[in-house]
Amino acid sequence: MSASATKSYLFEAFPVIDSYYFQQLVIGLSQGMTYALVAIGFTLIFGVLNAVNFAHSEVYTIGAVAGLFVIGAYAPPLAGVVLLVAAVGAALGFGLERLAFKPFRRFSDEASLKSRAMRESTLMSSLALSIIVREGLELVMGSQMQPVPFNYMLNTPIVLGSITIVSGDVVIFAVSASMLIGLQLLLKKTRIGLSIRAVSNNPLGAKYSGINVDRTIVSTFVLGSMMGAVAGLLVGLYYGSVFPSMGFAPGIKAFVAMVMGGLVSIPGAVICALILGVSESMATTFMPSAWADMVPYLFLILTLIFFPRGLFGGGRERV
Amino acid sequence: MNIRKKAVSSLALLALALSGTGVAHAAQTSVRIGYQLPLTGNTAQYGQDFKVAAEIALKEFNASGRLPVPVEIVFEDSRSDAKEAVSIARKFADDPSIVGVLGDFTSTVSMASAQVYKRAGLSQLSQTASHPDYTKISKWQFRNITNQDQEGPFNADWIASQGYKKVAVIGEQTDWGQSAVQAFEKKAKENGIEVVFSEYFNRGIPDFRSLITKVDRVPPDAIYGAIFYEDAAQFLKQLHQLGVKAPVFSSSAAYNEQLIKLAGKDADGLRLTSTFLPTVDAENVRHFVTAWKAVRNGEEPGQFPAQAYDATNIMLDAVARTYPDATRDNVRQALAETKDFPGVTGSTTFDADREPHKSLVKVEVVNGKFEPSAH
Repeated sequence: MSASATKSYLFEAFPVIDSYYFQQLVIGLSQGMTYALVAIGFTLIFGVLNAVNFAHSEVYTIGAVAGLFVIGAYAPPLAGVVLLVAAVGAALGFGLERLAFKPFRRFSDEASLKSRAMRESTLMSSLALSIIVREGLELVMGSQMQPVPFNYMLNTPIVLGSITIVSGDVVIFAVSASMLIGLQLLLKKTRIGLSIRAVSNNPLGAKYSGINVDRTIVSTFVLGSMMGAVAGLLVGLYYGSVFPSMGFAPGIKAFVAMVMGGLVSIPGAVICALILGVSESMATTFMPSAWADMVPYLFLILTLIFFPRGLFGGGRERV
Repeated sequence: MNIRKKAVSSLALLALALSGTGVAHAAQTSVRIGYQLPLTGNTAQYGQDFKVAAEIALKEFNASGRLPVPVEIVFEDSRSDAKEAVSIARKFADDPSIVGVLGDFTSTVSMASAQVYKRAGLSQLSQTASHPDYTKISKWQFRNITNQDQEGPFNADWIASQGYKKVAVIGEQTDWGQSAVQAFEKKAKENGIEVVFSEYFNRGIPDFRSLITKVDRVPPDAIYGAIFYEDAAQFLKQLHQLGVKAPVFSSSAAYNEQLIKLAGKDADGLRLTSTFLPTVDAENVRHFVTAWKAVRNGEEPGQFPAQAYDATNIMLDAVARTYPDATRDNVRQALAETKDFPGVTGSTTFDADREPHKSLVKVEVVNGKFEPSAH
């Protein structure tokens, strides 16, 4: 049925609000959730290292590619695909840390741990790795969109009154909510969570109180990349296409959400991701959609000017 | 750079150019053509298709023995990046053994390198650049695709003939997209169609739902899209997800087998124009389709590879007609004289503005196949 052509009971219940805006709100929330899915792992990794992991976008892409491969080869049920992709993500996180981050943590004296240069070099190494992986994927699979088998696509429409959502919205909501809650439980209730928080707070202090900083960083990467890979898979199935540069745009959105949320606050990043999604879809109403894509950058600038600590940043250093 | 330096460097260039042409005259042991196209990057799939098509054409040409020496095509990867393309154009222009150039893929990139070819005096034949301004750059620019000033009005007439009164237009935010939308809208208005919605989107966005919701608020009788196949696939899927029933018309850029693989049954009913249909019953089309399927695991070629195949053949034909005197000037002259060239995309004759005149066919996706449209 047409989303706005007919008046519905929703329209009659809230005569002031056109169902058009409801539909845009729902679309915005569902877009925001796909950003949040990426932002969770991204922010987690940033937390322990205080450096941006640019290769997160490629973990996301490889997650989707691996999922497509698994589907093509074994056609397991969706939950099986998700588990296998999570395992691939974990392996990727481990390898990524080894290749791009560990070599820059060779020295563990106080000066090196506090050194900005050490952190910034990982920025470049992760960016380099991300470019190599993306170009490599393009060479192997070509840069065109790979179709997802139709029975795995998460886009069966679900009509609720005058609003249409798709099955993927439900799946992505469930997954991102459980990721968020699970991660909070892990961080607050387990030993590894405690050490992640400790390293994130003060790596040197954590080291001196006997926490294995290296192992903590590796497990954070494994955890964050698992989430990144699952995010890529779900979004790939949601939009029904997988291609080498698919991680780029969500990576930027996740970055903006993280900065807006104050860099280390995972719930903050999720809320900001939702705000981004909704403002993009709402902005489409008032301006050409080509311009609405600039909304995240506008938010980034506004945050940097007016909320240098982010919206949920607390008392940490400036963004 | 001061004047003296300039003079010295231009003299040096001139000397280089003279010695180059000297070599070409004396020997002509092989003739070289440049092809700039995206082989990596976001649009690599198009460039890869062009390369395969050009190689089929070249192999046939060299096997035919029409020239006593082999022709060689030098492929350079422009990544669909204007800066990259300009350096490639300079490289081709500085290489005296290159007598003509094919490419590039997008209008923006083709027009950027056209400036170099204009100064260097090297013919450029693009298989796909359909922005009306491309051939206006200089006498060295040719194309063998119908430009948007032909395709847009053709579609506007088609939509009018179906009795649709209110049309929504969407186009990608590129030079090509804008020219396509403007050309369509102009003729649509002349035909008495009301353009009730007109907007551009950024190429490659995954989510069209906000835009679709906005379109459906109008709502239009039909939608016209200046849109490539990947975006078209996403657009069609999400259009039907949101329950919009208006029929979609599109320019030929959406014509690709992959569209159907990506969009599945949501592609059904899409109508577009094309210069090529693999099902046409003609000797050369059958031949090309067979050769293509052999290298591409049985896939059917779309319009773009067919365009590249024809462009390569037109260039090779021009080179052959000038041999053994295949200089840049002679090749340009021969290209300009191309008349009734029998290609797989119809016969090609360049007019005084170096524009081809081709007939367009109406195509519709029916049960997951591109078929001649019954509408």
